[in-house]
Amino acid sequence: MINSPQIAPSRDQLQNHPSEDNRLAAIRAVTGFQLSRLLTRPRLAMGLAGAIFPAAVMFAVTRTASIDRNMTVVMIYALIPEALCVLGLLVTMCPVVADELERGTWIHIAVRPGGRQNLLLGTFAAAVLWTAAVSFTALMLTLLVAQPTQPIGLIVMFSVLIGLSCVGRAALFALPAVILPKRALIASVGVALIVEYFAGLLPAVVNQITVSLRLRSLLVEWMEWRQEMPIEMTLFVDDYSAPVQVIAVCILVFVLLATAIFILNHRQFPPSVEN
Amino acid sequence: MDRSTELIDNDPVIKIEDLVKEYKSSDGTIVRAVDNISMSVAAGEIVGLLGANGAGKTTTLRIIATLLQPTSGHTQVCGHDSIQEPVGVRQSLGYVSATTGVPDRLTARELLTSFGRLHGLNEDAIKERLEWLIQTLSLTDYIDRPAGRLSSGQRQRISLGRALVHNPPALVLDEPTNALDVVGSRDLLDTLDHLRERGHAILLSTHRLHEIEHKCDRFVIINKGHIAALGTRDALVADSGDLESAFFHAIDRETHA
Repeated sequence: MINSPQIAPSRDQLQNHPSEDNRLAAIRAVTGFQLSRLLTRPRLAMGLAGAIFPAAVMFAVTRTASIDRNMTVVMIYALIPEALCVLGLLVTMCPVVADELERGTWIHIAVRPGGRQNLLLGTFAAAVLWTAAVSFTALMLTLLVAQPTQPIGLIVMFSVLIGLSCVGRAALFALPAVILPKRALIASVGVALIVEYFAGLLPAVVNQITVSLRLRSLLVEWMEWRQEMPIEMTLFVDDYSAPVQVIAVCILVFVLLATAIFILNHRQFPPSVEN
Repeated sequence: MDRSTELIDNDPVIKIEDLVKEYKSSDGTIVRAVDNISMSVAAGEIVGLLGANGAGKTTTLRIIATLLQPTSGHTQVCGHDSIQEPVGVRQSLGYVSATTGVPDRLTARELLTSFGRLHGLNEDAIKERLEWLIQTLSLTDYIDRPAGRLSSGQRQRISLGRALVHNPPALVLDEPTNALDVVGSRDLLDTLDHLRERGHAILLSTHRLHEIEHKCDRFVIINKGHIAALGTRDALVADSGDLESAFFHAIDRETHA
């Protein structure tokens, strides 16, 4: 009945776990695949609209009023690392599981060793790359419209803030995406409003676990605004140095992603949900 | 002794023991989707898992594939327990579903390469497997064509290729011919014949009895989560003449027991 050398690798061969390089290749494969989904015409048009929006707002404001450099910086901060990054990640990170369930690809990914975590990490990377690219384009267009003094310094500062906003918020949105995949968008909007914009502004311990506190504190430090700030405004930022703020975001990202991977690895979807 | 020979001679490749799966329904009641199922599939064997919609076929297959956890009981693939060693199970198993989940924009080559990488294979291994899959599944004519321009049968072949990309000893197919026409179904089932000859253990669920009547070595008929009958075709049809009659006879007997 059986006469094939092709059959079944031996048990020892089967137990050869993929090397670190192969694991990275697996994550890269998912990233490439998800980026190809994001590079369709509708998604590119959406990205372009997102990139133009802050510049359009800046154009409208500068036409009606003269604003100084500090006000320009505050506007760019509010429009890009805070608003645009969050919107971009809502679109790209939230459907990480829901899309696969809807397209019938979830089971084919979940039956691979490490498939679930590779899906999450690969999608995380793609969401960060896409959103950061859109946000960086928006930054350049907005600076072109606003024409502030010393633009190079602002480009460097905002590039770091955009990068941190993207990785921090993408990791944050990974949680609702794996806990409530079918309602991830609504849940993530709730998380953004409650955690980032409400808890982040509370002068209490809870704001320490928000990305928005870190970004605001970095902005204040790098713009050297701390000395000029009214005393009540200092409640909304903290005193740690820039490296500490960056490390805090990295720790937050690690904890959030590890939690999301743990939950995803233990999620079960009955056939009625998967189909 | 070589493990593959050992499996053929002694151990079943897929083994299910006293499997139970319960779901909590929306009104809070417990629904038993799989009720104490035990069965096995040996290397070089095709076993047909037959049952109506909702009989528990898909739940059983998804527990084997580590996609769902059993309420009680065990499943093993190549000796790996689905709870204790899910990675071992995933390395040993290929899974094909009715919905192919093949993205329209990707070519078969891109998809199979991506899934090879997702499985942790290195580039040389992927290249080698791709050549084998192209030959075995006759993908040559459309390997570089976007899947959106392929027929259902061709897409299902690609899906089968994706399941075989890591050369698993065990193959689980959940109603793979559902979306296929007669020609597509026959093509796919002929390919399974070929895979059986190469020694793969194949567990195939379907409710299209006429298609697989002469393809499977053994059948397991399940009804409402129970095994209603199991055996070779000849044993099952001894009293009723054909597989369809045997199927209804087994279900009626189970229902009235």
